[in-house]
Amino acid sequence: MSVTSRTRFVNPRLGTYFGIFASSLTGLVLLLVIFEQLGTPETILRWCMLLGPLGLYGAIGLLVPTREPLEFFAAGRRVPAGYTGLCMANATLGATGIVAMTGTFFLIGFDALCLMIGGLAGFVIMAIMLAPFFRKFGTLTVPSYLGRRFENRAVRLLSAALISVPILLLLAAELRMGAFAAGWLVGQPESLMVMMLVLAMVVTVVMGGTRSLTWSGSAQAIAAILALIVPVTIVAVMVTNFPLPQLTNGPLLRALTHQEVTQGVPLVDASGLAFMLPGEGFAPVAKRFTVPFGNVGPTAFVIATLTVMAGVAASPWLLPRVTMTPGVYETRKSLGWATVFFGLIMLTAAAVSVYMRDFVMDIVKDGPPASLPDWMTRLIELGFARVNEGALSFTSFEFARDKVLLSLPVAAGLPNVFVYFAAAGIVAAALVAASAAAVTLANVLSEDVVNGLSWEPLPRDARLWVARLAIAGVAVFGGVITLLAPTDPLHLVLWCLAITGSTLFPVLVLSIWWKRMNAFGAMAGLTCGFAASVLTILAGEASILGLDGALAGLLGLPAATLGVLLASTATPGPTRSMLELVRELRIPGGEVVYDREMRLLRLKNRERD
Amino acid sequence: MMERKERKPYWRHTKWQMLASIVPFLVMIIVLPLYAGSLNTEKFLGFPLGYFLSAHGIVIVAIFTVASFVNRQDAIDHWHGAHEDT
Repeated sequence: MSVTSRTRFVNPRLGTYFGIFASSLTGLVLLLVIFEQLGTPETILRWCMLLGPLGLYGAIGLLVPTREPLEFFAAGRRVPAGYTGLCMANATLGATGIVAMTGTFFLIGFDALCLMIGGLAGFVIMAIMLAPFFRKFGTLTVPSYLGRRFENRAVRLLSAALISVPILLLLAAELRMGAFAAGWLVGQPESLMVMMLVLAMVVTVVMGGTRSLTWSGSAQAIAAILALIVPVTIVAVMVTNFPLPQLTNGPLLRALTHQEVTQGVPLVDASGLAFMLPGEGFAPVAKRFTVPFGNVGPTAFVIATLTVMAGVAASPWLLPRVTMTPGVYETRKSLGWATVFFGLIMLTAAAVSVYMRDFVMDIVKDGPPASLPDWMTRLIELGFARVNEGALSFTSFEFARDKVLLSLPVAAGLPNVFVYFAAAGIVAAALVAASAAAVTLANVLSEDVVNGLSWEPLPRDARLWVARLAIAGVAVFGGVITLLAPTDPLHLVLWCLAITGSTLFPVLVLSIWWKRMNAFGAMAGLTCGFAASVLTILAGEASILGLDGALAGLLGLPAATLGVLLASTATPGPTRSMLELVRELRIPGGEVVYDREMRLLRLKNRERD
Repeated sequence: MMERKERKPYWRHTKWQMLASIVPFLVMIIVLPLYAGSLNTEKFLGFPLGYFLSAHGIVIVAIFTVASFVNRQDAIDHWHGAHEDT
């Protein structure tokens, strides 16, 4: 009998392995710094910085192939809390969370915090209200959970169909962001890079499924965090003599605040529901950094926070990861680690933007300069920034939102390799989230669509090969969408979270905390939440409603909640076995519900043979 | 393994713990940023206070909320015999 246990089968050498990976990556960066000083051509350095880490991720993914379904779909349920948290924090917003958020912090300052606070709150809510119960249930996908929880195949198929939309949005956003960074790094067209990333993703995860996803994803997450933190830490040492950029930019920020006043940076006051995040193009600094509610109104700030919170808490590409931990206690801990890593990433992104604003302010704080500093000229040559005609002031400089992160090492005069390292980190972060989205959708397709009408899984080999084909198919399809309909990744991610939160959050929460809920309630909640959020987004894009698509949770969340409540109370109550199931999933101890079902199925099949 | 009669008290205890963890946190993340502008006149570690509390403060409170929840809920699980086998 398989019983949940806190420490079963965790590999004690994981720290050593990832220590070796981190050392290899550091070694590669230092080696390239040396080669740069020795005059090696830039093209070679750039390709090495892209292909070196990609080779390492691919090798890790290919070194952990498996033919065991539990390993393929749940990484053997033995991923420690720290690694689960690390992967979840990176996969939440992926490269968009790092790149676009840094640019957004730079351009609109305080107002970007709504996305950070929403993400953190999402992890808190997931830790307390959803994840431990989902882990006890133990299903491999969210639609499987809903189908089994309500003993209804229609719920399973409906939820599979509806959640594939936001997962595809996330996949397209991450591939686009990754292709932008890879394309810039090696000077190749983004379309070619999309295809390369799809290939890298498929090669990395196809043989080991979630097992490869987890271990290659951990390596990618470590690379992404190092690439984000190392350049800004060096800058922090240069500017403040202290290697803690997240905490030491305070005095700099206060000085910046005073200089922004003298430079006439606008003091904007946004109306309640205004939600104006910067787009992909060039834009000047829109408002003073620490002054709230210039681009995002106070009401919109709260709604955006809650929408992102619901989206993150119920995200179907994160929730199944908690079933990979060794037990319910580890699941709760993993969400704690996810909060730590997500907070670290976001505070670092905010620190990067403060340092970058400070560098720009240095140019103009003593009046218009006779000429631009070398680093600014270089940024303009690289296409990261541009300067408006006329007398120079702080607002004369315009920056491309997604290139602010890459601009900092240039502004600080660091060797070029650090800029390439930052770009490689963006590619890594994009791969974490894109792979998570692709594998999740592939698992949903193979488990809940292809085999959606049966509770009994396909025979072992057929089950794995269907899943592998689905991974390849989903990755290619995601690539095609990215190529055919390139859209701002930040918008895509925000829409994705709004649809996910509206469709799944009320249904998942009530499925655990309200015993009376039944299959009709689940179907009504899923449909109402999805329809309300998609219609709100479409209306927002067509400027019909005056409500930005990112705030679709305002209508989607209440619609889904009402749908669940009304449909459940208007139809017959749940059966005795459903009530027993919900009572069981509320208790951490005992056998995992899904594992028990699989064990009983095996026994039944053996008896039949 | 948990006794059947313990189920109700366990779930009641769990519900209260959930509310005790979530409600103060939600109130804080909604209310605090709304007053950040007026708090910015003060400073802490060199940061304008409103910005510091809305960024670093909420990160710290989120970590503290999850950490305390993990400990408290684990104690509740053990108290009622609902914990996992070790």
